[in-house]
Amino acid sequence: MKRIVSLFLMAALLLAVVGTVSAEGKTIVYWSMWEAAEPQGQVIQKAVDAYMAETGNKVDLQFKGRTGMREGLQPALDAGTVIDLFDEDIDRVNFQWGTYLLDLEELAKAADYEATANAGLMAVARANGGGTLKSIPYQPFIFNYFYNVDLFEDAGVTEAPATWEAFMEACQKLKDKGYIPVTSDDAYVLLTMGYHLARLVGEEQVDKIVKEGLWAEEPAVLKAAQDFEEMAKKGFFSPTIASSAFPANQNGELALGEAAMYLNGSWLPNEVKAMTGPDFNWGCFPYPELEGGVTGLNHANFGGQVYGINAKTEVAQEAFDIILKVTKGEFDSQLSQESMGVPSDTNNSQWPDSLKNVKPVYDAITKAYESDPAIRFSWGAGIENNPDMTPIIKQEVQKLFSGAITAEEFVNNLETASSK
Amino acid sequence: MRKTTGKIVVFLTPALIFFLTVFLYPIIRTATMSFFYVENITSGMKDWSFVGLSNYVKLANTSLFRTSMWNLLRIWAIGGLLVLGLGLMFAMILNTGVRMKKFYRAVIYLPNIISAVALATMWLQFVYSTRFGLLTNLFKTMGIDSLAAVEWTGPGNKFWALLFAYCFGMVGYHMLIFSSGIEKIPAEYYEASSIDGANILGQFRHITWPLLKGVLKTNITMWSISSVGFFIWSQLFSTVTSDVDTISPMVYLYNQVFSAGNAITQRDAGLGAAVGMTLGILVVLVFVAVNLFIRDDELEF
Repeated sequence: MKRIVSLFLMAALLLAVVGTVSAEGKTIVYWSMWEAAEPQGQVIQKAVDAYMAETGNKVDLQFKGRTGMREGLQPALDAGTVIDLFDEDIDRVNFQWGTYLLDLEELAKAADYEATANAGLMAVARANGGGTLKSIPYQPFIFNYFYNVDLFEDAGVTEAPATWEAFMEACQKLKDKGYIPVTSDDAYVLLTMGYHLARLVGEEQVDKIVKEGLWAEEPAVLKAAQDFEEMAKKGFFSPTIASSAFPANQNGELALGEAAMYLNGSWLPNEVKAMTGPDFNWGCFPYPELEGGVTGLNHANFGGQVYGINAKTEVAQEAFDIILKVTKGEFDSQLSQESMGVPSDTNNSQWPDSLKNVKPVYDAITKAYESDPAIRFSWGAGIENNPDMTPIIKQEVQKLFSGAITAEEFVNNLETASSK
Repeated sequence: MRKTTGKIVVFLTPALIFFLTVFLYPIIRTATMSFFYVENITSGMKDWSFVGLSNYVKLANTSLFRTSMWNLLRIWAIGGLLVLGLGLMFAMILNTGVRMKKFYRAVIYLPNIISAVALATMWLQFVYSTRFGLLTNLFKTMGIDSLAAVEWTGPGNKFWALLFAYCFGMVGYHMLIFSSGIEKIPAEYYEASSIDGANILGQFRHITWPLLKGVLKTNITMWSISSVGFFIWSQLFSTVTSDVDTISPMVYLYNQVFSAGNAITQRDAGLGAAVGMTLGILVVLVFVAVNLFIRDDELEF
């Protein structure tokens, strides 16, 4: 009798377990680069909750942050941790973790994904994936000059400067009106030099300069340094450009309306919204063209975060469905509005108000990329490509911008520092 | 006898296995890795490329790494003098029978229980701010305009700004260790010396200092280990990209191993391992030197 009861109980237990599994559906493990408290993290959490409610599948969503992803994703994948879906920067995902990625061409085709996606950005993802689609972009960004339109108007600058001469003129007018024309923080100050050099000689040459130490050999370095020396002499840079610890100047001088321009990404309005309030009149213009330079207004760093699906996943379709949930329709729109970011879904034509002046620049650049992929700069147009030199270049740039050293000293210091 | 051996084996085996897997294996792997080019820290050995001593040669020839070592030396030596000196001084004062000893001790120790992120943010965005910072306003109020105009986090100054902020948070920890050492010294020694006419300085020189040598050794070793592992404060004082003034060998290692900046650069866990080995050897050298020069086995109490 006891044996019969035991068998009965075991069978009941087994049925209960099987029933539970089928009722719970599949589990998708998603590692995200955002923090749970960030606007992006909050909207993604909502999208995932909606996905779970609709499908009955379970999503194990873990917010790892940028550092957590950079340190932990690859070791975890190597150790066999089940991670079906992850996100990070478009270059990092494809270049550093490319071997772990599932080819998404078929899944994207089946969902007709590209019908409502930015063609330029999809082309970047495909180019980074070695000619095939291994990642799906979202939260697009563009890196260019962001400025306070009201200060420009007050200073009588009616048009965003497209050339260096116009840029210097605008700086002078702003300075005369009592504003700080250009500000930055230690996190981004170096990128101005990257863009300027890349305007003069292109990113490939910038890469060579920083990696091979061609500071004295490449005349464009001195030319760029002289341009900035002139700006420093005329007082166009923030007086705290050499000492501002991120985010002091973006939160202070720029957000509070004392400084007019900041070379940064389109995430900037979101980062400073608590300081600016909703009425800040944002503008955006491409880094100006330089006389004799080889790159034009459309050459810029742009990209986005991307989703990658683990090639070893057993829930590829489910992971792709989560991507669809976040990057299309309602939640893409929410993501855009909440994070003051660029929408991924082209049907979401309503951009956040703060980015309305960014749209023409973004559209022009992503459109231009479709016919000329060479216009896309990598981060800082290559100025940070040699980690053994980046802090040294940054310090010399800070000194140059603050007027502590001359253009010649800038060149000589870097030439000396890069010679082994 | 057999029973005893069995017991030893039973009790020691888990500890031995734990030691071998958690300590010895990573040390051996890191030492081996330092002679290879290894792109990813978790790459299998089949993906490693032997490069001989070239990782160490590269480190010796890289000015940024040399700068990071120079920063480390200054943090260890100058910061050590400051932190251990102040720690000892506070410990002595607190053990002279001062009233509200527990309160003062808690206040001095307080920075240790506050997150480094919060502390660094306070120093960077408030104390050192030239816009509304404590120092700027203080010197303005005092009418010292030259000091009020100093950019505390500018090139050349940032190292000192970092060092001071870091030391501020570390004094309490070492004070406690000194304090526990002083409390162990029998009060009769001080009473007897007072009767013999010794003043406070004399008591310090002939009683406290000799009997604190063991504690001093502990403090120097602890300080050396924490200095070598100097990372978080450096990262907090130079977010996104490292600074010449604040880079430490650990940050250099981190940047090399994880391509931690925004630019996607080549990763080299082998080079990182060479940094790790260099730092490990440094700690051992300091430990040996401390044991050699500070002898605490001459006195027993």
